[in-house]
Amino acid sequence: MHALIGSILAQAEEHGEEVSEAADLYPAAGELIVGLLAFAVLFFFTWKWVLPKFKEVLEQRKEQIQGEMEKAEATRGEAEKLQEEYRTQLAGARDEANRIIEEARATADQLRRDLQAKAEEESQAIVGRAQEEIRAERDRVFQELRAQVGSIAVEIAERIVGQSLDERAHQRLIDEFIDEVAPGAGVNGNGKGTATDSAKDREGGA
Amino acid sequence: MISAILGAEFHPPSTKDFVFDCYFSVDLFGIQICFNFIIALVLASVLIYVLLFLFAFRKPRTVPGKLQALMEMGLEFVREQIAMPMLGPAADRFLPLLVTFFFFIFFMNIFEVAPWVNFSASSRVAFPLVLAVIAWVTYNAVGIAKHGFLGYLRFTCIIPSAPAILRYTLLLVIEFVSNIVIRPITLTIRLAANFVAGHFLLALAFLGTEFFFLSGGLSYLGLVVTAPISVALVAFEVFVAILQAFIFAILTASYIGGVLAEEH
Repeated sequence: MHALIGSILAQAEEHGEEVSEAADLYPAAGELIVGLLAFAVLFFFTWKWVLPKFKEVLEQRKEQIQGEMEKAEATRGEAEKLQEEYRTQLAGARDEANRIIEEARATADQLRRDLQAKAEEESQAIVGRAQEEIRAERDRVFQELRAQVGSIAVEIAERIVGQSLDERAHQRLIDEFIDEVAPGAGVNGNGKGTATDSAKDREGGA
Repeated sequence: MISAILGAEFHPPSTKDFVFDCYFSVDLFGIQICFNFIIALVLASVLIYVLLFLFAFRKPRTVPGKLQALMEMGLEFVREQIAMPMLGPAADRFLPLLVTFFFFIFFMNIFEVAPWVNFSASSRVAFPLVLAVIAWVTYNAVGIAKHGFLGYLRFTCIIPSAPAILRYTLLLVIEFVSNIVIRPITLTIRLAANFVAGHFLLALAFLGTEFFFLSGGLSYLGLVVTAPISVALVAFEVFVAILQAFIFAILTASYIGGVLAEEH
Protein backbone atom coordinates (compact mmCIF):
# COMPACT_ATOMS: atom_id res chain seq x y z
CA MET A 1 0.00 0.00 0.00
CA HIS A 2 2.68 2.39 1.08
CA ALA A 3 4.72 1.41 -1.90
CA LEU A 4 1.75 2.16 -4.15
CA ILE A 5 1.32 5.67 -2.76
CA GLY A 6 5.04 6.20 -3.05
CA SER A 7 5.00 5.16 -6.63
CA ILE A 8 2.03 7.41 -7.41
CA LEU A 9 3.84 10.33 -5.81
CA ALA A 10 6.95 9.54 -7.74
CA GLN A 11 4.92 9.31 -10.91
CA ALA A 12 3.29 12.61 -10.15
CA GLU A 13 6.65 14.25 -9.61
CA GLU A 14 7.88 12.73 -12.83
CA HIS A 15 4.94 14.35 -14.62
CA GLY A 16 5.83 17.67 -12.97
CA GLU A 17 2.66 17.66 -10.90
CA GLU A 18 2.52 19.50 -7.59
CA VAL A 19 2.53 17.57 -4.38
CA SER A 20 0.56 18.80 -1.38
CA GLU A 21 2.53 19.35 1.79
CA ALA A 22 1.15 20.37 5.19
CA ALA A 23 3.91 22.93 5.54
CA ASP A 24 2.44 24.88 2.62
CA LEU A 25 -0.46 25.88 4.86
CA TYR A 26 1.55 26.93 7.91
CA PRO A 27 1.54 30.57 8.86
CA ALA A 28 4.57 32.64 8.03
CA ALA A 29 5.97 35.15 10.52
CA GLY A 30 5.56 37.98 8.03
CA GLU A 31 1.90 37.15 7.58
CA LEU A 32 1.33 37.28 11.31
CA ILE A 33 2.90 40.72 11.55
CA VAL A 34 1.01 42.05 8.53
CA GLY A 35 -2.23 40.57 9.86
CA LEU A 36 -1.70 42.18 13.24
CA LEU A 37 -0.87 45.56 11.70
CA ALA A 38 -3.81 45.36 9.33
CA PHE A 39 -6.13 44.56 12.21
CA ALA A 40 -4.68 47.37 14.30
CA VAL A 41 -5.16 49.91 11.54
CA LEU A 42 -8.72 48.82 10.85
CA PHE A 43 -9.59 48.61 14.52
CA PHE A 44 -8.45 52.15 15.23
CA PHE A 45 -10.07 53.44 12.07
CA THR A 46 -13.34 51.78 13.07
CA TRP A 47 -13.12 52.77 16.70
CA LYS A 48 -12.06 56.38 16.26
CA TRP A 49 -13.69 57.34 13.01
CA VAL A 50 -16.31 54.99 11.56
CA LEU A 51 -18.43 54.37 14.63
CA PRO A 52 -18.39 57.96 15.92
CA LYS A 53 -19.51 59.09 12.47
CA PHE A 54 -22.15 56.41 12.42
CA LYS A 55 -23.38 57.42 15.84
CA GLU A 56 -23.40 61.05 14.80
CA VAL A 57 -25.49 60.26 11.75
CA LEU A 58 -27.96 58.25 13.78
CA GLU A 59 -28.16 61.00 16.37
CA GLN A 60 -28.68 63.61 13.69
CA ARG A 61 -31.33 61.53 12.02
CA LYS A 62 -33.09 60.94 15.29
CA GLU A 63 -33.03 64.63 16.05
CA GLN A 64 -34.29 65.52 12.62
CA ILE A 65 -37.11 63.03 12.76
CA GLN A 66 -38.01 64.12 16.26
CA GLY A 67 -37.84 67.76 15.23
CA GLU A 68 -40.02 67.13 12.24
CA MET A 69 -42.51 65.20 14.30
CA GLU A 70 -42.63 67.97 16.85
CA LYS A 71 -43.06 70.50 14.08
CA ALA A 72 -45.85 68.45 12.57
CA GLU A 73 -47.47 68.16 15.99
CA ALA A 74 -47.19 71.91 16.49
CA THR A 75 -48.64 72.58 13.03
CA ARG A 76 -51.48 70.21 13.72
CA GLY A 77 -52.21 71.87 17.04
CA GLU A 78 -52.18 75.26 15.40
CA ALA A 79 -54.48 74.07 12.66
CA GLU A 80 -56.87 72.66 15.23
CA LYS A 81 -56.79 75.91 17.15
CA LEU A 82 -57.46 77.85 13.97
CA GLN A 83 -60.31 75.54 13.05
CA GLU A 84 -61.81 75.96 16.49
CA GLU A 85 -61.43 79.70 16.14
CA TYR A 86 -63.10 79.67 12.75
CA ARG A 87 -65.88 77.53 14.08
CA THR A 88 -66.53 79.94 16.94
CA GLN A 89 -66.31 82.86 14.56
CA LEU A 90 -68.74 81.18 12.22
CA ALA A 91 -71.15 80.46 15.04
CA GLY A 92 -70.74 84.06 16.21
CA ALA A 93 -71.41 85.34 12.73
CA ARG A 94 -74.52 83.19 12.45
CA ASP A 95 -75.75 84.48 15.79
CA GLU A 96 -74.96 87.99 14.72
CA ALA A 97 -76.83 87.52 11.47
CA ASN A 98 -79.83 86.12 13.32
CA ARG A 99 -79.69 88.99 15.73
CA ILE A 100 -79.52 91.52 12.91
CA ILE A 101 -82.43 89.91 11.09
CA GLU A 102 -84.45 89.84 14.30
CA GLU A 103 -83.58 93.44 14.96
CA ALA A 104 -84.50 94.47 11.44
CA ARG A 105 -87.78 92.64 11.76
CA ALA A 106 -88.46 94.38 15.07
CA THR A 107 -87.50 97.73 13.63
CA ALA A 108 -89.72 97.17 10.61
CA ASP A 109 -92.61 96.18 12.88
CA GLN A 110 -92.06 99.19 15.02
CA LEU A 111 -91.85 101.41 11.99
CA ARG A 112 -95.03 99.98 10.53
CA ARG A 113 -96.81 100.35 13.80
CA ASP A 114 -95.57 103.92 14.10
CA LEU A 115 -96.61 104.78 10.58
CA GLN A 116 -99.98 103.18 11.10
CA ALA A 117 -100.50 105.11 14.28
CA LYS A 118 -99.33 108.28 12.69
CA ALA A 119 -101.56 107.76 9.66
CA GLU A 120 -104.50 107.06 11.90
CA GLU A 121 -103.73 110.08 13.93
CA GLU A 122 -103.39 112.18 10.84
CA SER A 123 -106.59 110.91 9.37
CA GLN A 124 -108.32 111.55 12.62
CA ALA A 125 -106.80 114.97 12.67
CA ILE A 126 -108.02 115.59 9.15
CA VAL A 127 -111.48 114.35 10.00
CA GLY A 128 -111.47 116.41 13.16
CA ARG A 129 -110.36 119.46 11.26
CA ALA A 130 -112.96 118.86 8.64
CA GLN A 131 -115.61 118.51 11.28
CA GLU A 132 -114.30 121.60 12.94
CA GLU A 133 -114.44 123.43 9.66
CA ILE A 134 -117.93 122.21 8.98
CA ARG A 135 -118.99 123.22 12.39
CA ALA A 136 -117.38 126.62 11.96
CA GLU A 137 -119.01 127.03 8.58
CA ARG A 138 -122.33 126.05 9.95
CA ASP A 139 -121.91 128.45 12.80
CA ARG A 140 -120.89 131.15 10.44
CA VAL A 141 -123.82 130.41 8.14
CA PHE A 142 -126.04 130.24 11.14
CA GLN A 143 -124.73 133.55 12.36
CA GLU A 144 -125.14 135.10 8.97
CA LEU A 145 -128.54 133.62 8.62
CA ARG A 146 -129.54 134.85 11.96
CA ALA A 147 -128.48 138.34 11.05
CA GLN A 148 -130.32 138.15 7.77
CA VAL A 149 -133.34 136.56 9.34
CA GLY A 150 -133.51 139.53 11.61
CA SER A 151 -133.38 142.04 8.80
CA ILE A 152 -135.68 139.93 6.70
CA ALA A 153 -138.10 139.75 9.52
CA VAL A 154 -137.94 143.48 9.84
CA GLU A 155 -138.47 143.86 6.12
CA ILE A 156 -141.29 141.46 6.13
CA ALA A 157 -142.77 143.23 9.03
CA GLU A 158 -142.46 146.50 7.20
CA ARG A 159 -144.13 145.08 4.17
CA ILE A 160 -146.86 143.55 6.23
CA VAL A 161 -147.35 146.72 7.94
CA GLY A 162 -147.16 148.65 4.62
CA GLN A 163 -150.07 146.70 2.96
CA SER A 164 -153.06 145.17 4.31
CA LEU A 165 -152.94 141.61 3.69
CA ASP A 166 -155.20 138.73 3.90
CA GLU A 167 -153.94 135.46 4.90
CA ARG A 168 -153.49 134.29 1.38
CA ALA A 169 -151.56 137.42 0.42
CA HIS A 170 -149.56 137.02 3.53
CA GLN A 171 -148.50 133.59 2.54
CA ARG A 172 -147.71 134.68 -0.95
CA LEU A 173 -145.61 137.44 0.40
CA ILE A 174 -143.54 135.11 2.47
CA ASP A 175 -143.04 132.77 -0.46
CA GLU A 176 -142.01 135.57 -2.68
CA PHE A 177 -139.62 136.79 -0.12
CA ILE A 178 -138.02 133.50 0.41
CA ASP A 179 -137.69 133.05 -3.30
CA GLU A 180 -136.08 136.39 -3.44
CA VAL A 181 -133.68 135.68 -0.66
CA ALA A 182 -132.66 132.20 -1.59
CA PRO A 183 -133.58 131.39 -5.09
CA GLY A 184 -133.40 127.59 -5.35
CA ALA A 185 -132.04 127.14 -1.77
CA GLY A 186 -133.40 125.23 1.21
CA VAL A 187 -136.55 123.51 -0.10
CA ASN A 188 -135.11 123.80 -3.59
CA GLY A 189 -135.81 122.31 -7.02
CA ASN A 190 -139.53 122.41 -7.00
CA GLY A 191 -139.17 124.57 -3.93
CA LYS A 192 -142.03 126.77 -4.94
CA GLY A 193 -144.35 123.96 -5.49
CA THR A 194 -143.39 122.25 -2.31
CA ALA A 195 -143.64 125.39 -0.36
CA THR A 196 -146.99 125.99 -1.86
CA ASP A 197 -148.02 122.45 -1.15
CA SER A 198 -146.89 122.65 2.43
CA ALA A 199 -148.71 125.97 2.76
CA LYS A 200 -151.79 124.40 1.29
CA ASP A 201 -151.40 121.48 3.67
CA ARG A 202 -151.05 123.77 6.55
CA GLU A 203 -154.11 125.70 5.23
CA GLY A 204 -156.06 122.59 4.87
CA GLY A 205 -155.05 121.52 8.32
CA ALA A 206 -156.09 124.84 9.71
CA MET B 1 -4.85 7.15 -17.28
CA ILE B 2 -7.84 9.44 -17.68
CA SER B 3 -5.69 11.99 -19.39
CA ALA B 4 -4.56 9.33 -21.80
CA ILE B 5 -8.17 8.70 -22.83
CA LEU B 6 -9.15 12.36 -23.12
CA GLY B 7 -5.96 13.60 -24.64
CA ALA B 8 -5.43 16.56 -22.31
CA GLU B 9 -3.44 17.02 -19.12
CA PHE B 10 -5.39 17.58 -15.93
CA HIS B 11 -3.56 19.34 -13.12
CA PRO B 12 -5.39 18.85 -9.84
CA PRO B 13 -5.19 21.67 -7.32
CA SER B 14 -2.71 21.18 -4.49
CA THR B 15 -1.49 23.00 -1.41
CA LYS B 16 1.07 24.64 -3.67
CA ASP B 17 -1.84 26.91 -4.67
CA PHE B 18 -1.44 28.51 -1.25
CA VAL B 19 2.24 29.33 -1.68
CA PHE B 20 3.28 32.44 -3.55
CA ASP B 21 6.62 33.90 -4.54
CA CYS B 22 7.76 37.11 -2.92
CA TYR B 23 7.61 40.32 -4.96
CA PHE B 24 10.19 41.65 -2.54
CA SER B 25 11.24 41.08 1.08
CA VAL B 26 11.67 43.46 3.97
CA ASP B 27 13.72 42.75 7.06
CA LEU B 28 11.77 44.00 10.07
CA PHE B 29 13.67 43.56 13.36
CA GLY B 30 15.19 40.37 12.10
CA ILE B 31 11.93 38.97 10.78
CA GLN B 32 11.79 38.45 7.07
CA ILE B 33 8.53 39.87 5.72
CA CYS B 34 7.84 38.49 2.29
CA PHE B 35 5.57 40.77 0.24
CA ASN B 36 3.70 38.38 -1.98
CA PHE B 37 0.24 38.00 -3.49
CA ILE B 38 -1.28 37.13 -0.09
CA ILE B 39 0.01 40.28 1.58
CA ALA B 40 -1.24 42.26 -1.40
CA LEU B 41 -4.68 40.73 -0.88
CA VAL B 42 -4.68 41.65 2.80
CA LEU B 43 -3.63 45.19 1.98
CA ALA B 44 -6.31 45.35 -0.69
CA SER B 45 -8.88 44.19 1.87
CA VAL B 46 -7.72 46.88 4.27
CA LEU B 47 -7.84 49.48 1.52
CA ILE B 48 -11.34 48.50 0.45
CA TYR B 49 -12.49 48.55 4.05
CA VAL B 50 -11.08 52.01 4.67
CA LEU B 51 -12.19 53.49 1.35
CA LEU B 52 -15.74 52.18 1.54
CA PHE B 53 -16.26 53.58 5.01
CA LEU B 54 -14.45 56.79 4.12
CA PHE B 55 -16.65 57.44 1.13
CA ALA B 56 -19.76 56.33 2.97
CA PHE B 57 -19.26 58.55 6.02
CA ARG B 58 -16.99 61.33 4.75
CA LYS B 59 -19.96 63.65 4.39
CA PRO B 60 -22.68 61.79 6.23
CA ARG B 61 -26.18 62.86 5.42
CA THR B 62 -29.37 62.32 7.36
CA VAL B 63 -30.95 61.05 4.18
CA PRO B 64 -28.19 58.63 3.16
CA GLY B 65 -26.95 57.95 -0.33
CA LYS B 66 -26.66 54.42 -1.66
CA LEU B 67 -23.19 53.69 -0.29
CA GLN B 68 -23.89 55.28 3.07
CA ALA B 69 -27.14 53.34 3.36
CA LEU B 70 -25.34 50.10 2.50
CA MET B 71 -22.55 50.61 5.03
CA GLU B 72 -25.03 51.77 7.63
CA MET B 73 -26.95 48.58 7.00
CA GLY B 74 -23.76 46.58 7.60
CA LEU B 75 -23.00 48.40 10.83
CA GLU B 76 -26.59 48.10 11.91
CA PHE B 77 -26.43 44.38 11.21
CA VAL B 78 -23.35 43.90 13.39
CA ARG B 79 -24.93 45.98 16.13
CA GLU B 80 -28.43 44.51 16.07
CA GLN B 81 -27.73 40.92 15.10
CA ILE B 82 -24.33 40.26 16.71
CA ALA B 83 -23.51 42.72 19.48
CA MET B 84 -26.96 43.31 21.00
CA PRO B 85 -28.13 39.71 21.38
CA MET B 86 -24.80 38.53 22.79
CA LEU B 87 -23.71 41.50 24.89
CA GLY B 88 -26.87 43.47 25.66
CA PRO B 89 -25.96 46.71 27.41
CA ALA B 90 -22.21 46.16 26.81
CA ALA B 91 -22.80 45.97 23.04
CA ASP B 92 -21.52 49.44 22.19
CA ARG B 93 -18.33 48.93 24.19
CA PHE B 94 -17.26 46.01 22.00
CA LEU B 95 -18.78 47.23 18.76
CA PRO B 96 -15.45 48.49 17.31
CA LEU B 97 -13.89 45.06 17.76
CA LEU B 98 -16.87 43.18 16.34
CA VAL B 99 -17.29 45.56 13.40
CA THR B 100 -13.59 45.23 12.56
CA PHE B 101 -13.77 41.45 12.76
CA PHE B 102 -16.88 41.20 10.64
CA PHE B 103 -15.88 43.56 7.85
CA PHE B 104 -12.17 42.69 7.75
CA ILE B 105 -12.93 38.98 7.55
CA PHE B 106 -15.66 39.58 5.01
CA PHE B 107 -13.44 41.68 2.74
CA MET B 108 -10.67 39.05 2.95
CA ASN B 109 -13.15 36.24 2.31
CA ILE B 110 -14.86 37.79 -0.66
CA PHE B 111 -11.65 37.74 -2.72
CA GLU B 112 -12.22 34.01 -2.96
CA VAL B 113 -14.88 34.70 -5.60
CA ALA B 114 -13.34 37.82 -7.13
CA PRO B 115 -12.68 37.09 -10.81
CA TRP B 116 -8.98 36.61 -11.71
CA VAL B 117 -8.13 36.51 -7.99
CA ASN B 118 -10.07 33.56 -6.64
CA PHE B 119 -7.99 33.46 -3.56
CA SER B 120 -8.79 34.50 -0.03
CA ALA B 121 -6.23 35.59 2.55
CA SER B 122 -8.48 33.84 5.08
CA SER B 123 -7.22 30.54 3.71
CA ARG B 124 -3.78 31.47 5.01
CA VAL B 125 -4.03 30.34 8.60
CA ALA B 126 -1.91 33.24 9.87
CA PHE B 127 -4.71 35.81 9.46
CA PRO B 128 -7.50 33.88 11.17
CA LEU B 129 -4.95 33.00 13.86
CA VAL B 130 -4.08 36.65 14.53
CA LEU B 131 -7.77 37.56 14.78
CA ALA B 132 -8.55 34.54 16.97
CA VAL B 133 -5.73 35.45 19.33
CA ILE B 134 -7.07 38.99 19.55
CA ALA B 135 -10.52 37.62 20.35
CA TRP B 136 -8.98 35.24 22.92
CA VAL B 137 -7.00 38.00 24.61
CA THR B 138 -10.06 40.25 24.63
CA TYR B 139 -12.52 37.89 26.28
CA ASN B 140 -9.96 36.63 28.81
CA ALA B 141 -8.92 40.19 29.64
CA VAL B 142 -12.55 41.20 30.05
CA GLY B 143 -13.10 38.20 32.31
CA ILE B 144 -10.07 38.94 34.43
CA ALA B 145 -11.00 42.61 34.66
CA LYS B 146 -14.44 41.66 35.88
CA HIS B 147 -13.70 38.74 38.21
CA GLY B 148 -10.00 39.07 39.00
CA PHE B 149 -7.50 36.46 37.79
CA LEU B 150 -8.39 33.62 40.16
CA GLY B 151 -12.01 34.65 40.21
CA TYR B 152 -12.07 34.45 36.45
CA LEU B 153 -10.44 31.00 36.43
CA ARG B 154 -13.02 29.82 38.95
CA PHE B 155 -15.78 31.46 36.95
CA THR B 156 -14.81 29.83 33.65
CA CYS B 157 -13.69 26.42 34.88
CA ILE B 158 -16.10 25.55 37.66
CA ILE B 159 -19.74 24.75 37.14
CA PRO B 160 -21.38 25.40 40.51
CA SER B 161 -24.44 23.26 39.79
CA ALA B 162 -22.37 20.13 38.99
CA PRO B 163 -21.76 17.44 41.64
CA ALA B 164 -18.62 18.28 43.61
CA ILE B 165 -16.75 15.17 42.60
CA LEU B 166 -17.09 16.06 38.92
CA ARG B 167 -16.95 19.80 39.46
CA TYR B 168 -13.38 19.75 40.71
CA THR B 169 -12.03 16.96 38.54
CA LEU B 170 -13.22 16.02 35.12
CA LEU B 171 -15.47 19.02 34.46
CA LEU B 172 -12.77 21.38 35.65
CA VAL B 173 -10.40 20.05 33.03
CA ILE B 174 -13.04 19.96 30.32
CA GLU B 175 -14.21 23.49 31.03
CA PHE B 176 -10.67 24.82 31.10
CA VAL B 177 -9.72 23.17 27.86
CA SER B 178 -12.90 24.07 26.02
CA ASN B 179 -13.11 27.65 27.26
CA ILE B 180 -9.48 28.69 27.37
CA VAL B 181 -7.55 26.37 25.07
CA ILE B 182 -9.90 25.23 22.33
CA ARG B 183 -11.78 28.42 21.52
CA PRO B 184 -9.00 30.31 19.69
CA ILE B 185 -8.06 27.13 17.85
CA THR B 186 -11.59 26.47 16.64
CA LEU B 187 -12.01 30.10 15.65
CA THR B 188 -8.83 29.88 13.59
CA ILE B 189 -9.40 26.54 11.99
CA ARG B 190 -13.09 27.11 11.23
CA LEU B 191 -12.30 30.19 9.20
CA ALA B 192 -9.07 29.01 7.56
CA ALA B 193 -10.31 25.51 6.72
CA ASN B 194 -13.49 26.91 5.19
CA PHE B 195 -11.45 28.88 2.71
CA VAL B 196 -8.83 26.21 2.09
CA ALA B 197 -11.66 23.82 1.30
CA GLY B 198 -13.54 26.51 -0.60
CA HIS B 199 -10.48 27.17 -2.70
CA PHE B 200 -10.05 23.49 -3.48
CA LEU B 201 -13.69 23.21 -4.45
CA LEU B 202 -13.56 26.21 -6.73
CA ALA B 203 -10.21 25.18 -8.21
CA LEU B 204 -11.45 21.69 -8.92
CA ALA B 205 -14.64 22.94 -10.54
CA PHE B 206 -12.92 25.64 -12.58
CA LEU B 207 -9.96 23.49 -13.63
CA GLY B 208 -12.30 20.62 -14.45
CA THR B 209 -14.44 22.91 -16.59
CA GLU B 210 -11.35 24.21 -18.37
CA PHE B 211 -10.01 20.71 -18.86
CA PHE B 212 -13.24 19.36 -20.34
CA PHE B 213 -13.55 22.41 -22.53
CA LEU B 214 -10.03 22.08 -23.89
CA SER B 215 -10.19 18.29 -24.35
CA GLY B 216 -13.00 18.51 -26.87
CA GLY B 217 -15.03 15.59 -28.21
CA LEU B 218 -16.90 13.48 -25.73
CA SER B 219 -15.46 15.40 -22.80
CA TYR B 220 -17.91 18.25 -23.53
CA LEU B 221 -20.37 16.03 -21.66
CA GLY B 222 -18.31 16.72 -18.55
CA LEU B 223 -19.06 20.43 -18.92
CA VAL B 224 -22.70 19.69 -18.27
CA VAL B 225 -21.67 18.74 -14.74
CA THR B 226 -18.76 21.03 -13.95
CA ALA B 227 -19.97 24.32 -15.46
CA PRO B 228 -23.22 24.61 -13.43
CA ILE B 229 -21.35 23.38 -10.36
CA SER B 230 -18.75 26.14 -10.83
CA VAL B 231 -21.46 28.79 -10.90
CA ALA B 232 -23.26 27.28 -7.93
CA LEU B 233 -20.00 27.09 -5.98
CA VAL B 234 -19.30 30.77 -6.56
CA ALA B 235 -22.71 31.60 -5.10
CA PHE B 236 -22.02 29.19 -2.27
CA GLU B 237 -18.66 30.81 -1.52
CA VAL B 238 -20.28 34.24 -1.38
CA PHE B 239 -22.65 32.81 1.18
CA VAL B 240 -19.76 31.23 3.09
CA ALA B 241 -17.83 34.51 3.00
CA ILE B 242 -20.67 36.32 4.76
CA LEU B 243 -21.48 33.40 7.03
CA GLN B 244 -17.93 32.88 8.29
CA ALA B 245 -17.46 36.58 8.99
CA PHE B 246 -20.72 36.50 10.88
CA ILE B 247 -19.80 33.36 12.82
CA PHE B 248 -16.39 34.67 13.80
CA ALA B 249 -17.87 37.94 15.07
CA ILE B 250 -20.83 36.39 16.84
CA LEU B 251 -18.68 33.73 18.56
CA THR B 252 -16.32 36.41 19.79
CA ALA B 253 -19.31 38.38 21.04
CA SER B 254 -20.71 35.31 22.72
CA TYR B 255 -17.38 34.55 24.44
CA ILE B 256 -17.21 38.11 25.75
CA GLY B 257 -20.87 37.95 26.74
CA GLY B 258 -20.17 34.67 28.52
CA VAL B 259 -17.45 36.11 30.75
CA LEU B 260 -19.53 39.23 31.40
CA ALA B 261 -22.49 37.20 32.60
CA GLU B 262 -23.09 36.95 36.33
CA GLU B 263 -23.89 33.27 36.20
CA HIS B 264 -22.57 30.47 34.10
